[in-house]
Amino acid sequence: MDKGKTILIVDDVEINRIILAEIFNDNYCIMEAGSGAEAIGLINSNPDIVAVLLDLLMPGVSGLGVLEDMNRTGKIKHIPVFLITAAESDAVLMEGYHLGAVDVIRKPFMTQFLRCRVGNLIELYAHRNALEDIVEEQVAKLQAVNQSMVETLAAIIEFRDCESGEHVKRIGRLTRIMLTEVSSTYPEYYLPKKEIDTIVTASVLHDIGKISIPDQILNKPGRLTAEEFDTMKLHTVKGCEILQGIPDIMDADIYSYSYDICRHHHERWDGKGYPDGLKGDEISIWAQVVAIADVYDALTAERVYKAAYSREKAVDMIYNGECGTFNPKLLEVFRKALRQLENDI
Amino acid sequence: MSLLEELATLGVDVEGGVKRLSGKQSLYERMMFKFLDMVKKSEVSPDFDSSSYNDVMEVAHALKGAAGNLSVTPLYEGYGQIVDLLRKGKPEEARKVLVDMLPVQEKIMDCIARHANA
Repeated sequence: MDKGKTILIVDDVEINRIILAEIFNDNYCIMEAGSGAEAIGLINSNPDIVAVLLDLLMPGVSGLGVLEDMNRTGKIKHIPVFLITAAESDAVLMEGYHLGAVDVIRKPFMTQFLRCRVGNLIELYAHRNALEDIVEEQVAKLQAVNQSMVETLAAIIEFRDCESGEHVKRIGRLTRIMLTEVSSTYPEYYLPKKEIDTIVTASVLHDIGKISIPDQILNKPGRLTAEEFDTMKLHTVKGCEILQGIPDIMDADIYSYSYDICRHHHERWDGKGYPDGLKGDEISIWAQVVAIADVYDALTAERVYKAAYSREKAVDMIYNGECGTFNPKLLEVFRKALRQLENDI
Repeated sequence: MSLLEELATLGVDVEGGVKRLSGKQSLYERMMFKFLDMVKKSEVSPDFDSSSYNDVMEVAHALKGAAGNLSVTPLYEGYGQIVDLLRKGKPEEARKVLVDMLPVQEKIMDCIARHANA
């Protein structure tokens, strides 16, 4: 017997369960359920179930109800379900197929055929599930490579910029908290968690264009002249040019978010930012969030041209509009996000 | 006569039923005793309501499945016809089949009951 591989037999008539158990118990562990509700509980709590033999007509939750639940949980993709039928109507059987059942077992059972049909599909599903696991593993590895590639690029920028690696980490943390908050507060800014993860990864490249800014400007201890400031502003578009040159080394989503954030993290809500002078929600919500996180971090950190401001002073400066105008909805969640950031630290 | 020999004389395909249970005669006998319980608990009466017979159809359907799996051929065929006729909206014809089949069912159940009590 292939220990661990379990077939779940679901039928309200005990005789049918016993007969099916007898057909399969030489090769599989057997689990029985006398109702649809019991079956749902067993399916959701037993990872060893490799097939379900499911009666359609049962009191309470019917076989179709069990299939609906398996669709809801996604189990239907990994466990083959066979419909047991004496003479259900074609419409009912079709509904079963539409809900993901793989085959129909007719009563009276034909022992040898049944063993072969169920056994073959169990093997097929096992093979498919194993392939899916391999693909999932490869995708995870690829994502890890992407992540480290992006982090390496970010480290190079910081080395040039005389900043510690903590700057991008702090921005990433604040970006995550703010995006999560703004996404759950304002439906128009909703983002799934997976997207937020990607944006946080992409956010570390927001200043990649600084590589192209001359040292004497990038690390000038005093105030920049107007001309120098114009050169400094170019780090947004230069960053995009750099990213355009390396699109293949990163995931397409990370590339697209990085590009947008890189170009637009100095835009402002009133249109007075750069390089494109975008206004309001013409600026993506992620670029807006990174902008506010970047300003806050620049204010509270020591730089070659200034001492660090206190957190309170930095917050006041942002709310007073001393660092440009921000989306009022973002400012609403900003204080809350800072409290969470402090708690996390 | 043994239970299985007697059942064979009543039209039950004992050989097919035992084969379905991997040749285990004693298990087949135990299943027959369970079938007796099932029939007792879910009897279908011929005086069912002609305008509302969903419950009758469900019971007949369950008995058809179990009878088929145990190769109790006369009851499998009888309940099969009853389910089909009820599904087609012909309760009077179904009632007639049931009335004709009940004496056969009674003989088979009596046989099983005698051996169960022996």
